[in-house]
Amino acid sequence: MKNKNKIWNAVKIPLLAILCSLVAAGVIIALTGSNPFRAYYALLQGSGLAPKAAYANYKSMLTDLFSYVNYFTPMIFAALAVAVALRAGLFNIGVSGQMLAAGFTATVLVGYSGLGAVAAKPLVILIGMVVGGLAGALVGFLKYRFNINEVVSTIMLNYIFQYVISFLINTYFVDPVSRQSVEVSAASRLTLMDTQAGNLKIDIPLGILVALAAVVLVWILFDKTKLGYELKAVGFSRSAARYAGIRVGRCMVLSMTISGMLAGLAGVTYYLGYMGSIQPKVLLNTGFDAIAVSLLGSNNPFGIIFSTMLISLISKGSTYMRSTAGVDTEIASVITGIILLFSACSAYIRHRLERRRSEKAQTAKEDR
Amino acid sequence: MGEEYIVEMRHITKRFPGIVANDDVTIQIRKGEIYALLGENGAGKSTLMSMLFGMYEPDEGEILIRGEKVKIESPNHATRLNIGMVHQHFKLVSNYTVAENIVMGMEPVKKVLGCIPVVDIKKANSDIRALSEKYGLAVNPTDVIENINVSTQQRVEILKMLYREAEILIFDEPTAVLTPQEIDFLLEIIKGLREKGKTIILITHKLEEIKRIADRCAILNRGKLIDVLDVAETSTRVMANLMVGREVSFETEKKPADFGKVVLDVSNLNVFNKQEFQVVKNVSFQVHEGEILAIAGVAGNGQVEIADAIAGLMPVRSGKIVLNGEDITGASIRERTLKGISYIPEDRQNYGVVMDFTLSENLALKNYFKEPFCRKGMLDNRAFEENSRRLIEKYDIRSGQGSGTVVRSMSGGNQQKAIVGREIELASPLMIFVQPTRGLDIGAIENIHRQMIAERDRGRAILLISLELDEIMNCADTIAVIYNGELQKIASAGSLTTNQVGEFMMGVRQKETEKSTAGKSEAGKEAAGKSATGKGTAGKSEAGKEAAGRSVTGKGTAGKSETGKEAAGKKVTGKGAEEKGGGEE
Repeated sequence: MKNKNKIWNAVKIPLLAILCSLVAAGVIIALTGSNPFRAYYALLQGSGLAPKAAYANYKSMLTDLFSYVNYFTPMIFAALAVAVALRAGLFNIGVSGQMLAAGFTATVLVGYSGLGAVAAKPLVILIGMVVGGLAGALVGFLKYRFNINEVVSTIMLNYIFQYVISFLINTYFVDPVSRQSVEVSAASRLTLMDTQAGNLKIDIPLGILVALAAVVLVWILFDKTKLGYELKAVGFSRSAARYAGIRVGRCMVLSMTISGMLAGLAGVTYYLGYMGSIQPKVLLNTGFDAIAVSLLGSNNPFGIIFSTMLISLISKGSTYMRSTAGVDTEIASVITGIILLFSACSAYIRHRLERRRSEKAQTAKEDR
Repeated sequence: MGEEYIVEMRHITKRFPGIVANDDVTIQIRKGEIYALLGENGAGKSTLMSMLFGMYEPDEGEILIRGEKVKIESPNHATRLNIGMVHQHFKLVSNYTVAENIVMGMEPVKKVLGCIPVVDIKKANSDIRALSEKYGLAVNPTDVIENINVSTQQRVEILKMLYREAEILIFDEPTAVLTPQEIDFLLEIIKGLREKGKTIILITHKLEEIKRIADRCAILNRGKLIDVLDVAETSTRVMANLMVGREVSFETEKKPADFGKVVLDVSNLNVFNKQEFQVVKNVSFQVHEGEILAIAGVAGNGQVEIADAIAGLMPVRSGKIVLNGEDITGASIRERTLKGISYIPEDRQNYGVVMDFTLSENLALKNYFKEPFCRKGMLDNRAFEENSRRLIEKYDIRSGQGSGTVVRSMSGGNQQKAIVGREIELASPLMIFVQPTRGLDIGAIENIHRQMIAERDRGRAILLISLELDEIMNCADTIAVIYNGELQKIASAGSLTTNQVGEFMMGVRQKETEKSTAGKSEAGKEAAGKSATGKGTAGKSEAGKEAAGRSVTGKGTAGKSETGKEAAGKKVTGKGAEEKGGGEE
């Protein structure tokens, strides 16, 4: 009972924020001359959560749903990466860079290697974790050893990864037609593309299984383990953690390493799962959106699943929304922005709610 | 009724999640009196005054100011109603001058070229100077806040209220941060304010202050108003018993000490702070089993650094720390804990607890990594719960939601009880108590002293560091006095009088030639320390007031009143503040 209440308390504010923003965005959609209900329904249809009027060959609601899952898998990892660092009091802005580094390394080492699927897929995941972890550890080490602010070092590393890797791609690995890196082998892809199932062709994302496992592991880490206790203590108060005998520097390096590993997984599930190639000179937004997604999910691993699904639903369904409801895709970004804005205001909303409750108690008393 | 009250709070009730902070409290305050609010930590004094100052709204009840019912919505609104408050933690901009801080928000304005408004700082300075002289507050308007000591900063806070024409002045634990001499001076200022017709509400848990200056006193216990007393007709013992809700003893009972073998042996310890300033100079001492060794000293003379160095929080430049025959000078903090050091730190909110952890998590902060809390890296929630339930029960830790309460939401006294309980439960051979009772009320102080002495009787070695001479004289078996990083004297407690300890604290080496100057400040100290015995106190404070009054008449000597009053203490305090600021970097 008590536990239920606790969950409800944690969930109700984000829910309220989402509801408010859907109403606000609905008004905007209505102002552009479209029907907001149709637009929202189209978002669901586009993500395979509601049936479309008609489907092409080999397509159905199920294919849409799978492609939606394939689309949001990297975001779960990225948001977890942000959350792990935040719990230990660090701000990992470099998730995008770490994703790119991990994705590129795995592409070059495994994606072009011709290894069989059984060896290649686990290897891709392993490389993603190792490279991402190393990139995170570097940031943690710089912070611990030289007291370099992790925000600065991650931003700088983002640039370094972005330009060094695009140089390498353009010099050695570019596909002259697509002007992206050469596509990786199907054996190394973490998403089984166009898999024949009955009369459908489905993209089956294997990464989602790893992502769900990661969610559970991160939850166990913070709720059940000694290391999690230490990381949280460091996140809340470095001085008190030190007083308790916790090795603060080690904790900072460790939390950035774990965060980097998760970012690396985001990288391989994106570049070797969803995409299959890397576009040079482009740093994904995923790593930055992940900060907001993590906050919307209250930095809770399970909350992150839902916030990821919501935010991804809006961007994934936006194409279909344009074609059926006649709402521009840009509106999708507006809705996302409004949701994040509202959820950022959640502290204020909570305060207002409490205040109103106490006022209500007051008036109820006076009425009597 | 007939009688006119300037402030009336009728049937006030205020609830916070899990706790009723004020339960149907009614207080009526007359114009021009000093009205004290007495109660233990968490009794609801500060909450009550926060409502009067517009920071909270009461859930039930009404507030009347000068007979008119008002709903005070914000501190600004309270200010318009001529209510002012000096908070326990000052709210000053540290790199602004005194005058700038005081006039901030209602600066005198002049027009440059007849149209561009700018702050008229000259007028501000002269206004503040005049105001300061009127009330005998002795501040220099052009001093920068970070360069003046705590007691002067407090006077700036008082001036801030007066500048806003406050008639009702609320002081929240004003003496908690002051030395005995500064307390004397402050109490005289408060009396002076009453003579100028101000109404004063004093939140405190120090009985002797109430006895010295208050007219009436309301006693709160666990949110309820227990009684309103006429201070002149009530003994401190009665007040204390009402406040705690049971009999309290002022003197701590203890058996004669029975020393065992040496537990802690510190030799030639030298410690430098981050600014490369030597804060501990060649300090050597030993603590035995069954001994309470107390280090007495004015704040900032290196005593906290000694404790930090022993606990491993501060690096040692040279010297040796030996615990139970084992050299631990280079050991890590965790190793020292495991080898047997309990440490109750001075700064409980930044070090003693993780404020955003729950109570049960905090109660295992020193042993979470051991069985039964942790097996193979996995934590056992039930062990946390059980440990927490046991300690809450044993040490009477009060909180809104038991084990699951976030410590930040608990009162300071209960946070301290949690730390003390946790550290005692470690059952370490050496226990370091730094300022264990700071900010606590009599009931809690008595409790902690009893526990400390019980641990001593169990054969633990205890190092007590305190700024309260009373505490040291009451508890210690051996007294070491520190001044400017050096130990001045180590002697058994029976062989030193309070006066002598005080002299060593001031760095005056007990010589006939200096007796005349030192003697005076000592008398003041004595009065502040030893509660309400009476006569000597009254005489002394009269003299003090005169001194303060006199020096303010001449502008040039405005600063002097402080010097005269605080004598040797001032230099030391100033320095202490400086070091402390550095240490925090």
